[in-house]
Amino acid sequence: MMERDREESVDLAQISLRPLQLSDVDDLMVWTTDEKVPKFCTWEPYSSKDQGIDFIQNKACEFLWSRAICLHDRAIGFILMTSCSATDQSREKSVELGYVLGSKYWSKGIMTYVVKQVKKVAFREFPHLERLEALVDAENVGSQRVLEKAGFHREGVLRKYLFFKGKSRDMVIFSVLSTDLNHQD
Amino acid sequence: MSNLDLSKISLRPFKLSDVDDFLLWAGDDQVTQNLRWKTCGSREEALAFIRDVCIPHPWRRSICLDDRSIGFVSVYPWSGDDRCKADIGYAVAGDYWGQGIATKAVKMAVPQVFNDLSHLVRLQAFTSPQNKASQRVLEKAGFLKEGLLRKYTYFKGNIKDSIVFSFLSTDEFPHDD
Repeated sequence: MMERDREESVDLAQISLRPLQLSDVDDLMVWTTDEKVPKFCTWEPYSSKDQGIDFIQNKACEFLWSRAICLHDRAIGFILMTSCSATDQSREKSVELGYVLGSKYWSKGIMTYVVKQVKKVAFREFPHLERLEALVDAENVGSQRVLEKAGFHREGVLRKYLFFKGKSRDMVIFSVLSTDLNHQD
Repeated sequence: MSNLDLSKISLRPFKLSDVDDFLLWAGDDQVTQNLRWKTCGSREEALAFIRDVCIPHPWRRSICLDDRSIGFVSVYPWSGDDRCKADIGYAVAGDYWGQGIATKAVKMAVPQVFNDLSHLVRLQAFTSPQNKASQRVLEKAGFLKEGLLRKYTYFKGNIKDSIVFSFLSTDEFPHDD
């Protein structure tokens, strides 16, 4: 598909990050009810606004760090970090990145732009952080490209690493180290 | 190589009466240097470790030569949504290195583990990039090397790289050489 066949491209200067608020719930429901969006996520599309409210009020605050991805200050997606030490005490210097974007905004360079910024934020916010990693379904080529373009190293494929929505998933593991940043943009 | 008859190698649960044999290898820094285990410093420590850790463990077996403990194989399953995977670890007494014992023990353990742990799909192992001997054990036992995970884990006070290997419930067991 040629670039000009898509809807107009987005001015990345209009993309910002800020905490998710209850007033974002209607915008959140746009991407959480879209079947295409959680295809590679553990969660199912939302069927009621109560789920959206519950996420904003009770779930979003549980992450180590999270932000709404906004276009003209309207939420179009979400990015988060979780501590790897939650499941493995030997991994307290590692943090895992996760993100989601409304499908209308895919393939415009938005997620790459955001991940590049959050990569720097992570090592600034958490000065003892050594390793920022991300796990992507082996079939989710778009998300793998985001991480590659954002400067993450692809380390390998962890076969049948996760099991959700009734099937085993091969996950590609990516990382960026604090020492990598010194050699990048 | 060796004249050791590998058919004398068996796997069984630990017993308190293994304590003296256990201390020979669990009390050896050379053996424990690549394990998260603290080296056992006394018979009392060894007894407590067998009683409180080895025996209640979800899946830990003594590697035995003529029914005497010369090492261990451990499989630790993850819980909840992650019970599709488990971590395997192993060690053999220094005197018995280089004779294919760990490889034999891991090869024996793998089918037993998939039989015993019903939700298990993926058995994974993490080794230090420097520990070539352990990487060879896994390769000979049919594990696939998946990649190098940089600064992946804290190990005895230092951040370390890990090489990750896996064996799936659908993988083929290697032929015996």
